[in-house]
Amino acid sequence: MRRLLPPLVGLLFLLTWELVVRLRDVPVFVLPPPSAVATALWNDAPLLLQSSWITLIITVQAFLLALITGVGLAVLFKQSRALEAALYPYAVILQVTPIVAIAPLVVIWVGYERVNLALLILAWIVAFFPVLSNSTAGLSAVDPNLRDLFRLYGASRWQVLWRLALPSALPYILAGARISGGLALIGAVVAEFVAGSGTATGLAWRVIEAGNRLNMPRLFAALTLLSVLGILIFAVLTGIQRRLLRHWHPGGAG
Amino acid sequence: MTYVPGSPVAPPAPAIHVTGAAIGFGGRLLFSGLNMVAPGGRTTCLLGPSGVGKSSLLRLIAGLLSGSGRISADDGQPLTGRLAWMGQQDLLLPWATILDNVILGSKLRGEKVGLAHRDRAMALLDAVGLMDRATCRPDALSGGMRQRAALARTLFEDRPVVLMDEPFSALDAITRLDMQDLAARLLTGRTVIMVTHDPLEALRLGHEIRVLSGSPPHLSAPLTPDGETPRPTDQPGLLVQQGKLLHHLRQGGVA
Repeated sequence: MRRLLPPLVGLLFLLTWELVVRLRDVPVFVLPPPSAVATALWNDAPLLLQSSWITLIITVQAFLLALITGVGLAVLFKQSRALEAALYPYAVILQVTPIVAIAPLVVIWVGYERVNLALLILAWIVAFFPVLSNSTAGLSAVDPNLRDLFRLYGASRWQVLWRLALPSALPYILAGARISGGLALIGAVVAEFVAGSGTATGLAWRVIEAGNRLNMPRLFAALTLLSVLGILIFAVLTGIQRRLLRHWHPGGAG
Repeated sequence: MTYVPGSPVAPPAPAIHVTGAAIGFGGRLLFSGLNMVAPGGRTTCLLGPSGVGKSSLLRLIAGLLSGSGRISADDGQPLTGRLAWMGQQDLLLPWATILDNVILGSKLRGEKVGLAHRDRAMALLDAVGLMDRATCRPDALSGGMRQRAALARTLFEDRPVVLMDEPFSALDAITRLDMQDLAARLLTGRTVIMVTHDPLEALRLGHEIRVLSGSPPHLSAPLTPDGETPRPTDQPGLLVQQGKLLHHLRQGGVA
């Protein structure tokens, strides 16, 4: 019963929406009824799916890059406090600078002809920090008693990292990854909005284009697909997290 | 009697000499000028009120804590690599199976883990009654079982010297007694230094009992209860001695 509640609410919402639009004769360029959005989804499917694919690819690339660089940098930081002290502030600066403000710069530097690369860089900047900060926290949270045990057993630095620190940090890293996955999508979309040119043809461009042409049903269809992408990424990452943490720390899968 | 794996012709476990040990903690001297001998192949129990520095002393002997003083073995060999450690928590890796946890030391030493290792680990798990749990992960085990697994891992190391820091303090009373029996049986012949806050535990397991108390802390003369370990709980005199020890501990704590 509980599992049925969310779809039920959604269905009710869509029905109300459809009814209100029809009964009050709301013009389609203000608010298209769900039926029109569904029709647009069906008719524009080839175009929209191609754009979804582009956005998905950029998002996944940015996410993986963020994962590798985030965990990698956190590991480096743990090996050298001086390095951490030297670089961490810049990671924070990168994180707190609004992506919208630097996006035009990055797009100009990389060039409009390689706008997908610019989008990747921007999405990476957004997605990178949660992985870095969570991994850093995770690597620091190793049980000091276990550290002692490894020391007594004569474990090398590498063994401590590989057999103790990284496995201990895994729940943290995965929690960071889950945040980062959503942010990568947001980063990719925001960057494309700012790039604002037809050379990038992801979902965000479809939203801009449809808005400019007052093709509201297609705009809503593109938005729907963006939500679906976001939910998909979240679901996949949650699934991976559950799977990997099933035997981990008691109650650590949350 | 369960077969206890290990090398039967192992050289006798050395006595451990602690000379002039001093540990500072947060700018305060915890204790200084501490001397102690833990006789070879015997179990020495260290009792004392909490915060007196008994765990610190153990960590100093293990080389986990920097302090001053000389820690040496009476056979002249260095202690490094001859120690096994068992702590208050089981310290099992939650992501590894019980079997993998038991052979952790071998893996860390880069030994090729073969059938011989596995057989020995399984025999030890059998000795602690966990044979059928070898492929479980620690979170599937009760606290007592995990501590038994930790004991198996400590024994797997097969070191002549075993340091134990309140190894059974997190267990309920009955499980604790069972573990004490098991440990006494399986640790026979090794030099054991066990920190505990439980006088009964010290009296059951210790060939020698030393109390660390007072301010500044000093070690009492060794108390040597009669009879073989593990001494039964209903042994006459045990309760009397427990009472005396408790009294001593409380006085030490107040002073």
